[in-house]
Amino acid sequence: MNLSHDNLEESTKDNGNIDCANQSLTSPAQQSTQTSLGYSTVAINYVVDLQQKKQEIGKPKCVLELFDTFPIVQGKSRPIKVLNRLTVVASDPSHFRPNAEYKAYDLVAVYPTTEKLFHAACMTFDVDIICVAVIEKQPFFFKRSPINGAIERGVFFEISYTPAIRDSTMRRYTIANAISLMETCKGKNVIVTSGAEKPLELRGPYDIANLGLLFGLSEGDGKAAISTNCRAVHLHGETRKTALGIVHTMKKDQPLTERQEEEHAPASKRAKIETV
Amino acid sequence: MVRLKSRYLLCEVCVSDRRNLSLLDDRAIYTATKAAVARAHGDYGAALSSLGFSVKYLNAHTGIVFLRCRKSHYRLIWSALPFITSLENRGQRVPCFLNCLHVGGTIRTCQKFLVRYNTQQLHRMLPLCQSEGMQWSALFLYISSLPMHGFLIADNMPSNLVNFE
Repeated sequence: MNLSHDNLEESTKDNGNIDCANQSLTSPAQQSTQTSLGYSTVAINYVVDLQQKKQEIGKPKCVLELFDTFPIVQGKSRPIKVLNRLTVVASDPSHFRPNAEYKAYDLVAVYPTTEKLFHAACMTFDVDIICVAVIEKQPFFFKRSPINGAIERGVFFEISYTPAIRDSTMRRYTIANAISLMETCKGKNVIVTSGAEKPLELRGPYDIANLGLLFGLSEGDGKAAISTNCRAVHLHGETRKTALGIVHTMKKDQPLTERQEEEHAPASKRAKIETV
Repeated sequence: MVRLKSRYLLCEVCVSDRRNLSLLDDRAIYTATKAAVARAHGDYGAALSSLGFSVKYLNAHTGIVFLRCRKSHYRLIWSALPFITSLENRGQRVPCFLNCLHVGGTIRTCQKFLVRYNTQQLHRMLPLCQSEGMQWSALFLYISSLPMHGFLIADNMPSNLVNFE
């Protein structure tokens, strides 16, 4: 279970920040650090490497099981929101098949290792986030056409900053890959996330917005990269579960016998669930 | 009139092992920041950070630091702050990170922000205190952390003398 970290920050310096962070560490210490830094939404990341043989994509642990109480975000009166996110590391387009398992996750990300997969992921895959390689030199170059296609579709590119904090060589790769991404996408649809595994690897939202300057983002883009873009990703993930983004289904508690009968009936004949 | 403008970065030092390791001093932060800027931006960064860069205020109890740098390149120094992973103090290595809360043009504006921030922190922390003794100690911590003396003096001075640094 690896960790990755999305930052989402909405308000300006006056208020407490509404931040969204993708976090994978399931420790209350890390959560409390995040709330004190001002992140309001956090996602726990599960990495799946499909190149290895037949890795099962398990269901994510229910968030309520992991934490008893959610600490309250600094400056806001709401507790922190925790989402589940899946990252698929793949090199072949056939590996990636949107299943019902993917629906259990709030956000789906793909980490392409080849150019073909990157193109396919930008244009056709049903993902929210495309991860840009940070730990190694980019094996392929970014081309304008798949990136523009992805921007039109509402898919975001993710840059992770924690490897840059850990190691100097990774720092070079991060900055190089980030700058080459910015040249092609002009700073649109970018989110900055962290892959923090310990509470000490987290950074505050202003610092990350400033790191965006190093990556070639403009100041407004840098702030958007951790606030509005992350919120857009979250909404994009939610719409994956709905029909065309309009209809949202919720499970209604039904007595056991009824549910069993429904499972036997084919999908078209199942009772329509209440729409919100 | 030629005026040397500066920016004050209000940062908070966040440590995992709370109060024991708040025995930091400003030399440690100064050297750590200079080293981080040199590592991130090379010789250019090291040269810039030697100009007008200093640690103006450090509160060991709450971990608040004021860093002062020139207005022309405060962004460069600020961008190197996330890369600080630990502080060295007399041979002891404290793993921590600096979280920048506010950037102000004068110490006074940073203090105003700090007052608001501390009240927010108090609101957050007081419900978590388990006993009244802890509540009072939290209150004292935050009230004493403000350099109130400087505030009171500055309030009485005429305004054109206040902003000198």
